[in-house]
Amino acid sequence: MDKHEGTERRLSREQLLRLTAAAGGATLLGSRFDSAQAALERLGAESGRLQVLDWAGYGNDGGQAMFAQYVKTHPNNKPQFTYMANESDALGKIHAGLKPDLFRPYVGWVKYFATSGLVQPWDPKQISNFKHLNPFMVKAGQYNGKQYGIPDDWGFDAILYRSDKVHPKARSWGLLFDDRYKGKIAWFDDLEMITIAGLYLGFDRPWRQTDAQLKQSQKLLISKKHLVRLNWSSETNLWEAFGSGDVWIAYAWPNDWVQMKKKKLSVVYMHPKEKPIAWVGMFMLLKGTPRPHLAHAYVNAWSSARSGKWLEDNYGYGHANTLARPSSSALLKALQLTNPRAVTEPSAHLDRDIPRRAQYARLWEEVKAS
Amino acid sequence: MALVDAGSSPEHVPWPRRLRLDLTTPTLLGLPLAWLAVFFLVPIAIVAAYSFDVYSLNPGPHGFTLTAWHDFLHSSVYLRLFWKSVKLSLTVSAIIVLLAYPLAYYLALSGTKRKYILLLLLIAPFLTSYLLRVLAWKVILGNQGAVNTFLFWTGLRSPDHPLSQLLYSRFAVMLVLGYIWLPFVALPIFVSLESLDRRLLEAASDLGASRLQAFRRVTLPLSLPGVVAAFLFVFIPTLGEFVTPSLVGGASGYLYGNQIVDLFETGFPDWETGSVLSMFLLGVVAILTVVFARFLQPGEVTVD
Repeated sequence: MDKHEGTERRLSREQLLRLTAAAGGATLLGSRFDSAQAALERLGAESGRLQVLDWAGYGNDGGQAMFAQYVKTHPNNKPQFTYMANESDALGKIHAGLKPDLFRPYVGWVKYFATSGLVQPWDPKQISNFKHLNPFMVKAGQYNGKQYGIPDDWGFDAILYRSDKVHPKARSWGLLFDDRYKGKIAWFDDLEMITIAGLYLGFDRPWRQTDAQLKQSQKLLISKKHLVRLNWSSETNLWEAFGSGDVWIAYAWPNDWVQMKKKKLSVVYMHPKEKPIAWVGMFMLLKGTPRPHLAHAYVNAWSSARSGKWLEDNYGYGHANTLARPSSSALLKALQLTNPRAVTEPSAHLDRDIPRRAQYARLWEEVKAS
Repeated sequence: MALVDAGSSPEHVPWPRRLRLDLTTPTLLGLPLAWLAVFFLVPIAIVAAYSFDVYSLNPGPHGFTLTAWHDFLHSSVYLRLFWKSVKLSLTVSAIIVLLAYPLAYYLALSGTKRKYILLLLLIAPFLTSYLLRVLAWKVILGNQGAVNTFLFWTGLRSPDHPLSQLLYSRFAVMLVLGYIWLPFVALPIFVSLESLDRRLLEAASDLGASRLQAFRRVTLPLSLPGVVAAFLFVFIPTLGEFVTPSLVGGASGYLYGNQIVDLFETGFPDWETGSVLSMFLLGVVAILTVVFARFLQPGEVTVD
């Protein structure tokens, strides 16, 4: 065992003194000795490093700024990260035996995980920053009235294009299917492309398409696939292709727009008339975790306005804390951060559960394979 | 201790030595066999179990079923993708063998004293990581890469109209795979050519054969096992290749190996179908190996 880890598993002398004092004080005051005892037991029981399953990039040195408060207050329980490529990957890892204390799927998976038996609801009372979180996102993290997801990072799915090369006929998702730009288009490698196709085709409920509608969506994607240069799965992959001019039009997130602006490219981040989709990262607590209170403390740190500003400034994503404001006024405008409703109707479609997710995934895989 | 004749019967061998003899084979083979069983056969059995839904990632009822296999065998999409990968692998393997043969021939038979230095140069790229070698091609092939920059410089292309199909294309996948696997192909051919009995070539020459006839009748047949081995060295791994296509292939360079990875990892986990695709690939590769193995026997020289 790592020596460092070994020391972290024990209570530090300072902690022990603090707890003894707390317990002693409680006894002297004749108040609730039980609670001091509980606190002692709780901290004693919640030893070791907090196990976080998160997206690559959120655990590196830069990322520590987003949970700096947690590290400061829990120096002996620093988070230890395992990375997930996507929710499907996370699901596979958890089923394969990984035991994180918390992980971060996106809003469309809240219901799936809440009903899977793998997670347990949070206790918002233990998260002091909870009251500052965007109420629409908070609601999206609920299932059966319980808070299974704590919203955090968020952004839009919309269209990024080079304004010096591309001249859209309309503000529409149709730009991703425009024959004039064959070989210059990048789609997102995700089943969400089926939803996008549904939005473009004007279906009422693109997340709940009927068999006939799914067939139509898949047909559209297969018929337009020859226009696509790249199905991107990581942002760096997209930045390389877009930055070098291999791609002019892309399904993209606000951060991609920020990054391409940094490269001095003439780019527009277009919200289509069919509306963009808003995604929200949701911290979820694993059922039976041995460190529930540490997990709450960690999420509370992530939920602070300070962390939010850092996230916005450095990643170009939005943050669920409505008090967080980025330094860049352009990003403030692009994310419409002054308007909490920006993520929902009538501005955008807040991403949601896809009851037939497996079917959507299969159809998307067939599009790529065709 | 008395020496034991080679022809003496086992009952005449002292028992401690007999025990040692009896334990030698299992001891030597035990560890590798156990390794193979635990890290190769058992995982394959688990994947096979997933393909028949004996195991399932998703909660809920499951049990032995052929549904995933039925769906796969009736899916023109997956089989077409497999055929696309087969064609690409065959093309890459054939081209590399054709390119590597003269190279190996020169190294083995030219009599140059520096052949081992040249051989070392050939395998020098292996000193860097596979990933790095693939990524380097992005720098070369991109719109602002070395090739296009050179074309802009010569005036053959303008920066507004770069050669854009170099990267994120099937061509890019074939080019990079060819580059990566060339040394693997050259080495077995080199070995088979170097072990060639030169006296056969002298005899052919004495019997009036031209150099071309000697190559066609003697060198080529005797080096065929090396050629077949080299071909298999490339064909089998490239058939399931997914790293190179995912980095430089783009949408059109998407291959069967990528599909397997995606079925396991992206969208929504479909381990049943992913396992079926994996087992199918394994089966095809196993059959091909058995078929090609008969060509790995030393060739014969024919005399008219």
